[in-house]
Amino acid sequence: MTPSHPLYDAMISGDAEAARCVTVRTLAEGVAPLSLVNDYMIPAMEDAGKRFAAGEYFVPDLLIRARAMKTAMAILRPLLVAAQIKSAGRVVLGTVNGDVHDIGKNLVGAMLEGCGFEVVDLGVNVSPEKFIAAINERNPHIVGMSALLTSTMYSMKTTIDAMVQAGVRDKVKVLIGGAPVTRQFAQEIGADGSSNNAVGAVAVAKMAMGLQIESTAGVYWRTA
Amino acid sequence: MTDPVQNETVSDRNSRLYDERLRRYVTAMRNGKPDRIPMRPFVAEFAAKYAGYTCQEVTHDYEKAFAAARKCAADFDWDAVVGNMVYVWTGLTQAIGLKYYGVPGIDVPPDTGFQYHEPSEENAFMQPDDYDALIADPTAFLFNVWLPRVSSDVAPIGSPATYRNNLSFLKGGMAMWNYFMGFGRQVDLLRTESGTVHAISGILKAPMDILADKLRGYVGLCMDLHERPEKVRKACEALAPHLLHVALSGADPQKNVPITIWMHRGCVPFVSYKHFNEIYWPTLKPIVLEIWRRGHQTLFYAEGKWGAHLDAFAELPDGSIIYHVDQDDVFEVHKKIGHKFAISGGIPNVLLSFGKPKEIREYCKKVIDSVARDGGYIMDASAIMQNDMSVENMRAWTEFTHEYGVY
Ligand code: B12
Repeated sequence: MTPSHPLYDAMISGDAEAARCVTVRTLAEGVAPLSLVNDYMIPAMEDAGKRFAAGEYFVPDLLIRARAMKTAMAILRPLLVAAQIKSAGRVVLGTVNGDVHDIGKNLVGAMLEGCGFEVVDLGVNVSPEKFIAAINERNPHIVGMSALLTSTMYSMKTTIDAMVQAGVRDKVKVLIGGAPVTRQFAQEIGADGSSNNAVGAVAVAKMAMGLQIESTAGVYWRTA
Repeated sequence: MTDPVQNETVSDRNSRLYDERLRRYVTAMRNGKPDRIPMRPFVAEFAAKYAGYTCQEVTHDYEKAFAAARKCAADFDWDAVVGNMVYVWTGLTQAIGLKYYGVPGIDVPPDTGFQYHEPSEENAFMQPDDYDALIADPTAFLFNVWLPRVSSDVAPIGSPATYRNNLSFLKGGMAMWNYFMGFGRQVDLLRTESGTVHAISGILKAPMDILADKLRGYVGLCMDLHERPEKVRKACEALAPHLLHVALSGADPQKNVPITIWMHRGCVPFVSYKHFNEIYWPTLKPIVLEIWRRGHQTLFYAEGKWGAHLDAFAELPDGSIIYHVDQDDVFEVHKKIGHKFAISGGIPNVLLSFGKPKEIREYCKKVIDSVARDGGYIMDASAIMQNDMSVENMRAWTEFTHEYGVY
């Protein structure tokens, strides 16, 4: 069933201005921030994700919806924090050292955020030291790494090794992705999970949090 | 039987090799069957590594980059290479203070390949309200508005000319002249030193790719496709004649080697079928047709997955393009368009960099047996080869192609 609400509609049509207005208005009417997120925003982003996975939506379709989502989220986030409402999980996300490709990583970040996760985006060219500092400072549940080049994919291994060295590896689940990443590679470098698309990234992040998921298409999750 | 190449001088040998290789390479590109499969690996940072240079060295000093490419050409028996795939030269980027390159040893670690910085949406080099100016006069827009934005030295129009501004044009002009003249000599040296063909000549970008890569940024372009698609289409139409001109001005006068189009953002999942069919392709196709009318082939370096658009490409005249496979299924591509166009690439970089020689041989055998069976195939990796490519695998791959690729 698709929820019928102007916020859902604004997200689906990618209308950021409408998303902002509706959010402000609905809050003023006394609707709880969390219900806006759970009832309209997450379903809208999940719907967009499904259509993307089915080849019906393309990256621009996701980007304009993500923009509407972020506009509403900017208003809602402080309220959720003030009400001490927990997100689905905190994810530190970055493109590894030597790599500046971030379109895929940003989509993953937007989908995660749209599906109820809190995302700390470290940007591109992120060194192992920066990932480790972020683990210590932000206490994430999940670290997500992205690499698009065969020449940088091993930075993911270097980063995991450095996390082991620094004694923080076991504090987090490590998820990886990007075009050259395969499940074998994820296994080989000791990541917990991987996915080859943004919808699968949400699924694998949910698995990392012990949450239920609908489909495991395009997802690798370490067993045992 | 007497060996015809006995007592051959080095220069005779190289000129014989050059003729053989050129014939082989061109025959395959015209979708014919040469004596054996030509090999044309696009080696970038691999060449530096093989020749013992860091990424910083070859980026700072193009003579080292040229020397590295020639060393590879001399040591591996390849038919064609590019004179320098690490094409960014610090001398030129610094001469005019170009903002969009990350240079090894300055902006990125010394042994990381150069990078291209795409500004955030808010800082894009072209803003949404610049469309009308670009559409009205692309050249004026690039000179008057875009150039000062991408350069830290060029003073914006209307502001006082600074000393740095004046010098930047002098330095930039000289740097460009030196570097581009260097390419001419490099092409000659490849021929005379090792009998190797320069693989490509002339650069094309699709109008929409130029918008995304150098003007609006990809995210900005996505917003524009949603909010002002008509302006995007008009801008692409306005850019097309300029891009055609740039491509032809660098083309091979002998009409042997192709103009290359580096295809970035028109594929799945970057733009929808609608935007491909209504903007990307209608503003690119006439350029490719005109290039063909002037007697040049275009190498479609189809980065990513373009399989959904093969029917559109098949509208082009037979032989007008060479289709390079990156993440597409090379066997499927061959089935669909192999009767019309030659195909190159399709050997995954992950396999070449990190696989075992045996795995590489097995995969290449499959490709040769099926895709290259009747000719019309040029051996290459799926993507540009950086310094992760192993030397051992490069040897195994080259040897196998020569052994098994004989028709
Ligand atoms: C756009 C692009 C660029 C842009 C990047 C702009 C930006 N802001 O990101 C620019 C122009 C800057 C660029 C530069 C370069 N690029 Co580039 N680039 C591409 C291109 C065309 C698309 C990549 C992309 O955005 N894909 C779309 C997104 C949506 O997909 P994705 O990234 O795979 O992400 C999805 C999944 O992988 C997954 N995912 C991603 N991250 C994560 C993380 C987690 C945790 C999870 C779970 C999932 C996940 O979900 C995402 C969404 O569905 C590809 C070719 C192609 N079409 O794939 C080449 C490509 C990746 N580039 C390549 C190269 C060689 C380069 C350069 C070295 C070229 C050069 N010499 O200039 C530089 C290197 C710069 C550097 N050091 O990083 C090669 C890599 C070859 C190789 N050996 O691996 C490719 C394959 C092109 C080619 N065929 O040669 N590039």
